[in-house]
Amino acid sequence: MIVATDAELRSQPQRGRVLPAWAFIGWRWLWRSPAAAVVPLLQPFFFLYFLSRIITDPRLFPLQVAGAMLFSTQNIGSWCLADSAVFRIELRLQDIFVASPHDKLHYLFGVAFSNLIPALPAILLLGVILGMLTPVPLVGWLVLAACILMIWILYAAIGIAVSSRLRSQREIWPVGTLIFTLLGILSPLYYPISFLPPVWREFARILPATYAALLVQGALGFESASTENLGLDAGLLVLSTVIGLIVAWSLYRWRES
Amino acid sequence: MAFGLRWSGTRVFLATEIRVQLHEWLAIVMGTLTPGALLIFVAVLAPGLLPVTLIGALVYSMFLIGQRVLNEAAYIRIDHKLNELYHASPLSPEGYFVGIAGGMLIAYLPPSLLILAILEVLHPLSLLAIVTLAACLLAVWAVSSTIGYVVSTMFKDMKTIWPYSALLTNLLGVLPPVFYPFSKVPVEWRSLVLVLPTSAAAVLVNAAAGLEEVTAAQGGLAAVALAVEAAALFAFGIYWARRTARER
Repeated sequence: MIVATDAELRSQPQRGRVLPAWAFIGWRWLWRSPAAAVVPLLQPFFFLYFLSRIITDPRLFPLQVAGAMLFSTQNIGSWCLADSAVFRIELRLQDIFVASPHDKLHYLFGVAFSNLIPALPAILLLGVILGMLTPVPLVGWLVLAACILMIWILYAAIGIAVSSRLRSQREIWPVGTLIFTLLGILSPLYYPISFLPPVWREFARILPATYAALLVQGALGFESASTENLGLDAGLLVLSTVIGLIVAWSLYRWRES
Repeated sequence: MAFGLRWSGTRVFLATEIRVQLHEWLAIVMGTLTPGALLIFVAVLAPGLLPVTLIGALVYSMFLIGQRVLNEAAYIRIDHKLNELYHASPLSPEGYFVGIAGGMLIAYLPPSLLILAILEVLHPLSLLAIVTLAACLLAVWAVSSTIGYVVSTMFKDMKTIWPYSALLTNLLGVLPPVFYPFSKVPVEWRSLVLVLPTSAAAVLVNAAAGLEEVTAAQGGLAAVALAVEAAALFAFGIYWARRTARER
């Protein structure tokens, strides 16, 4: 008689339908919970409205729209944290994934991908608004897309890694707020870095999102920046993302024991 | 006698909730982070608005208590299944609702007192302003706790609740003039924001503190709207707690 443990794991299907399955999870979440579709779409606009009430300079608006695209992407990390914590703590789904041929990298990427789906409408709409507000060269779009991709991967990894250390659903809200609100306010996503006090400016330079913001603001012509400076920002963005991913990977706990 | 019975267990449950919440010190600290973040944005971008924003932070912190009631009531019911146990005990449904809401209010008060101390340094409040502030904050607490409790009873899993919680705090906390002056609202929207509980409270306190001028009609509308909403919603919260005490 053959029992389950006799089956050679590697003989089972390893890939092929995993990504669409995770995309489907993301889509079903939107379909079953209308607020989940509406909130990510509205959240950047709520904040942009608030900023427009306190900053009267309309010239900053295109910069803020680009910043809102990065901020929405950064928020995916918070949703990944909540999602993977619910999967593990409440639904006990992670145990099933651990027992399946789905390895931890696929799981991490799957959760990140399923959470990208609800954020995409907001990011695309903000992109359309940005294109209507200011002419964006092809290079500008490419830089923006690359920055969004990096921020998505890094912050999703941070969210999932941190969630793997949570013990109760009670911890999701405070820990998520601590990490993502702090990261969100420290980076100059909604205004030029020159607006910040000097000490804060130095703190902000530790964060990858700061370099993404500087790169996007420079590439889109919102702030004057030389090619060398843009190259340096791009290099520091890659470097800080790699360091962030290494830290997240070392923190990430896949199995309970 | 019947009224007395309906409040049975309230004091014990209130004390339990305070104790439970005080153990969640990280959540209490984090409750100040979102208003803190908005305060920092204002301090950097428009420092002249800081006193108005501090009052807004107090109102918003009180409104966030509703979000915490939502999470706590849902957590007790969905994750811990403790709700059934509580309702099988002599604890009355209204004692359960008031216990959670009151426990949150007391546990989350210290950060608000800190904001109040900063406000006193930047813009000392008169006695009238302090009384108005206290009354308005209590009214916002009554409204937000009820909304939080009622919403928490409508869902079967924690994940579904979060987007609604975020939507409510943004719609009533960030969008209306809570963190920014009422005068920055377009004229055609002013009547609407005066009947929203959060902006009505902020407008009334700002006016009492001498930070903004509103007409007698505007002040009256805000005060009546806030008082009616607080009383009606809190009464509805008690009715809803009785109605939903047992899951069917």
